Amino acid sequence: MNEIEQTEFERRAQAAFTASVEALDAQTRSHLNRARQAALAELDRRERAPWRSWLPAGALAATAALALVIWQRPTDSAAPDDVAATAAIAELPASDEDLDLVSEDPEFYAWSAQQASLVTNGSG
Amino acid sequence: MKGSGTCDFAAVARLADVEPTIREEVRLDQARALDRFLADVEKRAFRIAQMAVRDRDDALDIVQGAMLRLARSYGQRPSEEWKPLFYRILYNGIRDWQRRSSVRSRIFSVWPSRSRDDEDAPGDPYENVADNLREPSRQLMADEAMEKLEAAVATLPTRQREAFLLRCLEGMDVAQTATAMGCSEGSVKTHYFRALNALRSQLGEVWGS
Repeated sequence: MNEIEQTEFERRAQAAFTASVEALDAQTRSHLNRARQAALAELDRRERAPWRSWLPAGALAATAALALVIWQRPTDSAAPDDVAATAAIAELPASDEDLDLVSEDPEFYAWSAQQASLVTNGSG
Repeated sequence: MKGSGTCDFAAVARLADVEPTIREEVRLDQARALDRFLADVEKRAFRIAQMAVRDRDDALDIVQGAMLRLARSYGQRPSEEWKPLFYRILYNGIRDWQRRSSVRSRIFSVWPSRSRDDEDAPGDPYENVADNLREPSRQLMADEAMEKLEAAVATLPTRQREAFLLRCLEGMDVAQTATAMGCSEGSVKTHYFRALNALRSQLGEVWGS
């Protein structure tokens, strides 16, 4: 088959297709028109509030960050020793002045921490 | 450099006043351009989708989805890029539909299918609206020709069908068709050539070519 025949075949196919497009019923045309209006409204929404397009990504990133924080956090089922140690640390001096006291009497603070640990274990 | 180190605050203020107006005009121009593009392409896109899925309602859904997706994802792009992008989205929708349809048909293959009459909802308000029909005898001939073409196109392999619908019926060039089909221009030429040969051998006698 030569090129002229091919062109004639294409022309006929295009003509049949165009005729079928022109003969579309009113209901289909109306439906397509509504679909177009919805698409234009979507474009308008996007242009007026472009940050909206980042909302899903932002929500996903926030969820991932929260999950990471929860996963990295130490568990609440800490051993009683940890509680005692925390209590002892709470009693440790914080200021420079208090640190001087520690250096003067370290045995007292060691004893104090040990007592706190004993009390906690005894009560638990 | 002349004027370096100084700032023309009045000019900046004027620019700030003008900028929202320009932006609004650009936005309206883009919306009008998209409206024109979709109005121009929607009916042919619908017929192409209908030829691919052989169902009016599903074809409408696919075209509507493609319109929304184009506006959402590519509405800001230059209008020359819209056509191949739109048809690429449309064909993705058609392929998704075909995939779902094939799964559905495998699952429900043992159940009897509904007849076409059941699917047409009663009380259609557009049923009696005059359609855009031409002279009845000419319309009948055109309908018959199109019916035969549709039946022949339905027998083509998917890629050949896509190439034929986009190149011949939609009138896209090779480069646009390649973008829409997501393949090389060489593949488009091959698929199109094979599609034409297959269709000519089927319709040659009927169409008298």
